[in-house]
Amino acid sequence: MMHVKFTIGLSLCLALFIGALHFSASEAMGASKQELIAAKVKSEPAGLDDAAWETSKGIVVPFEGKEAFAGKHTSVTVKTVYTDDGIFFLYQWKDANQSVTKEAWQYEKGNWIHQKGNEDRISMLFEIDRINNFATKGCAVVCHVPDGATNAREGKFGTSTDAEKGDLWHWKAARSDPAGFADDGWLTIISEKKGGRKSDKGEGGDKKNITDDKSKPKYMIAQGKSLDKNGILLASHAVEITDYSVFKDGDTITYCMPKNFTDSFGDIKAKSRYANGEWTVMLSRKLDTANPDDTAFNIKRKYNFAMALFDNSGDEDSYDSEVITLKFK
Amino acid sequence: MNDMRVETRSQKIIELLSLGESRDRLLAFEVPKDALTWTRFCGSLLLVLLILLFFSGIFMAFYYSPVPGTAYDSVDFALFKIPFGSVVKGIHHYSWNLLLMVMGIHLGRSLILGSYKAPRQMVWVTGVIILFFVPLFIITGDLLPWDQTGYWSTQVRLSIISSVPFIGKSAARFLLGGSLTGVVALTRFYIFHILLLPGFLVLFLAMHFHFIRHRGLSEPLGTDPVFRPRIPFYPNLVNRWLFLFIIVSVVLAIISRHWTPPLGDPADPTDSSYIPKPEWWVLFLNQLVSVFKGGLAVLGSTLIPAGLAGLLIGLPFMDRSPYRHPAGRWKILLSAAILSGFIIGLSIMGYLEHFVLVKH
Repeated sequence: MMHVKFTIGLSLCLALFIGALHFSASEAMGASKQELIAAKVKSEPAGLDDAAWETSKGIVVPFEGKEAFAGKHTSVTVKTVYTDDGIFFLYQWKDANQSVTKEAWQYEKGNWIHQKGNEDRISMLFEIDRINNFATKGCAVVCHVPDGATNAREGKFGTSTDAEKGDLWHWKAARSDPAGFADDGWLTIISEKKGGRKSDKGEGGDKKNITDDKSKPKYMIAQGKSLDKNGILLASHAVEITDYSVFKDGDTITYCMPKNFTDSFGDIKAKSRYANGEWTVMLSRKLDTANPDDTAFNIKRKYNFAMALFDNSGDEDSYDSEVITLKFK
Repeated sequence: MNDMRVETRSQKIIELLSLGESRDRLLAFEVPKDALTWTRFCGSLLLVLLILLFFSGIFMAFYYSPVPGTAYDSVDFALFKIPFGSVVKGIHHYSWNLLLMVMGIHLGRSLILGSYKAPRQMVWVTGVIILFFVPLFIITGDLLPWDQTGYWSTQVRLSIISSVPFIGKSAARFLLGGSLTGVVALTRFYIFHILLLPGFLVLFLAMHFHFIRHRGLSEPLGTDPVFRPRIPFYPNLVNRWLFLFIIVSVVLAIISRHWTPPLGDPADPTDSSYIPKPEWWVLFLNQLVSVFKGGLAVLGSTLIPAGLAGLLIGLPFMDRSPYRHPAGRWKILLSAAILSGFIIGLSIMGYLEHFVLVKH
C-alpha cells in the first residue's frame, strides 16, 4: 500500500513538472526576431517540388535595399527541412527579370563586346565560431565597413578577430548554379592588407573566358556538349576557339564559365528554376561536413543567420535581411 | 566466511577513522515509520534535487569561464560539445524549476496540516529561509551564461533592486561592483552562485535538519503520537532516498535529452530593443511592479513582497493555537487561499501580458 502511495506521489509531482515544462524550456525571447524551423523528413527532397517541403512551415523574410536599392523592399519565402545527415533550404522570390548575363560576350560588327548585365544571387551567412553581436545585428557587424575605415582597404567583408568565423553560402545564377552548386566560402578577420572573405578548400567558382589580349572569348562549346538550361557554358564543356570566322552578329558566349566544384568548396549543392517571374532555389548540404570552414549543424542547438539578395547587381548593391534564428524541430 | 572477512575489514577501517561511535549512532537512529509515506515525499525529493543541483553545478563549473567575452562560449561548449553536456546542464536547469514547484507543494502541505506549529516553529522558519534562497540562486545563475535573456533579465532585476528605498542603489552597486554590468558583476554573481549562497544554503539545511532531528516530524493527523511505530533511519530511509535519487536522475536526464535546456543569443549590451520575458516563478512579482507605478512603485517592488515574506516567516508565531486539523483553522487557511489566489491571479495576468497578448 505504501509503495502504491509513493508511486502516486511521484507520478503527481512528475506530471506537474512536465505540465509546467514549456515555461522553463522556452527561451524568454523579447525581441521580434524571425524563427525558421527546420522540419525533420525521412528522405531528402528530390527537387524543388518535392512533397517534403510541405512539412516545413516557411517564413517570409523581409529584405531592405542598400546602396543602389536604397529605399526599396522585397521579400523571400524560405523553407528548410533536414534529414539524419543533410539540411535543405528552399527560397522563392519574385524577380521580374532572370539575370544570368554576367558580362557575356556578344559578337557585333566584327568586335566582341561585353553585354551589359550582372546576375541574380542569394547568400546566407552562418556563424562557424561566434561573431560578436552577429546574433543581434546580423550582417551589419561583418558587412559594409564604412568607407575610409582602416580595415576596409581590400574588401568590405570580414570579422573583427581571428576567433570569429562565418560560413558563407553564395548561390549565383550565372557562375555557380549552372554547375549545380553554390559557392561555399568562409569569413575571417579583415586586416589592413587582406579582406576577410575566403573560399573553402577545393576548386570551384568560375573561369574567365577571355584571350590573353583581353579582346575576345577564348573558348566555345565543345562538340557534343550542350549549354546549361540558362544558356551558360560550363568550363568543362568548353574548347578553345580555333576559327573565329564561324561567329555571326548577335552570337553570345559565356564570359564567366562555372568550373567543377570539388572538396569543401563544393559542399553546397544547388537546384533552381526561373518561371513566371519568380526564382525558386534549393540549396543542400551535409549537416556536418567535418570541414573546419563550415558550420557544423547540431540539431539540438539554434543558429543565427542573415541573408542578402542581389538583383542583377554587384556586391554592395543588395537587399539585406535582419538576422534570423534557425531551429530544428 | 567471506562476509566475516569483509565485516572485519570494514570494522578496521571504521576504527582507523574513529567512526565507530558515529556508526553506532547512525544504526541506532530511528525515524517514525510515516517518514516513508508519500505525503512526506516532497521533503525527500527536495533533498535529492539539491544534491543533483550541486553535482551538475560542479560539472558545469569545470568548463565555465566567468568573463563576459568567453562566458557564453564556455557554456555553449559545455552544452553542445561535451558528451552528455546538454543532459547535465538540463538536469541543473530542470532541477531548479522542479525544486521551486516541489518547495511550493512542501510548504502548502505544511501549511494545510499545521506542521509549523509548536514545537516545530524553527523547522518552518528555516524551511522558508531555504525557499527564499532559491530565487537568489536563480538570479545569480541567470547572468552566468551571458546570454541575452540572462543579461537583460538581470538589468530588470537590478532596476527593481535599485528602487528599494534607502538600500536599493547601494545593494545594486555592490552586486555590480560599479555602474555597469561587466566583468566585475559577472565575477561577483559567480562567486555568489557557487560559493556564498551554497555555503549559506548548507548552513540553513543543517539547521533545518537539526530542528527536524530534535523536534521530530509532525505527526499524521488523527494518529496517536504515543503509539507511533518507528523504523531505522539506516538503511530504510537512506535506501529510499537513494532509490529516489536514481529515479529522478533518470527522468530528468531523459527530459534533458529530449528538451535541450535553453541558451539564448549571446548578450549584446547595446541591443536595447531586447525585452526579456519573466520566468514563470517571477510572473507575479513582475506584475506587482507593473501594477504599481510612480510614487506607488515602492509598494510593488518592496513593501508587498517584504510583507508576504514576513507573513510567511512569522506564521508560527502568529498562529499559536495548538489545533492542527484544517477544519479548526479555517481562518488561517482561507487567508492563505486568498493570498495564493492573489499570487496565481497576478501570475496569470503576467502570463497573458508577456506570452499571449504580446505585441511585436
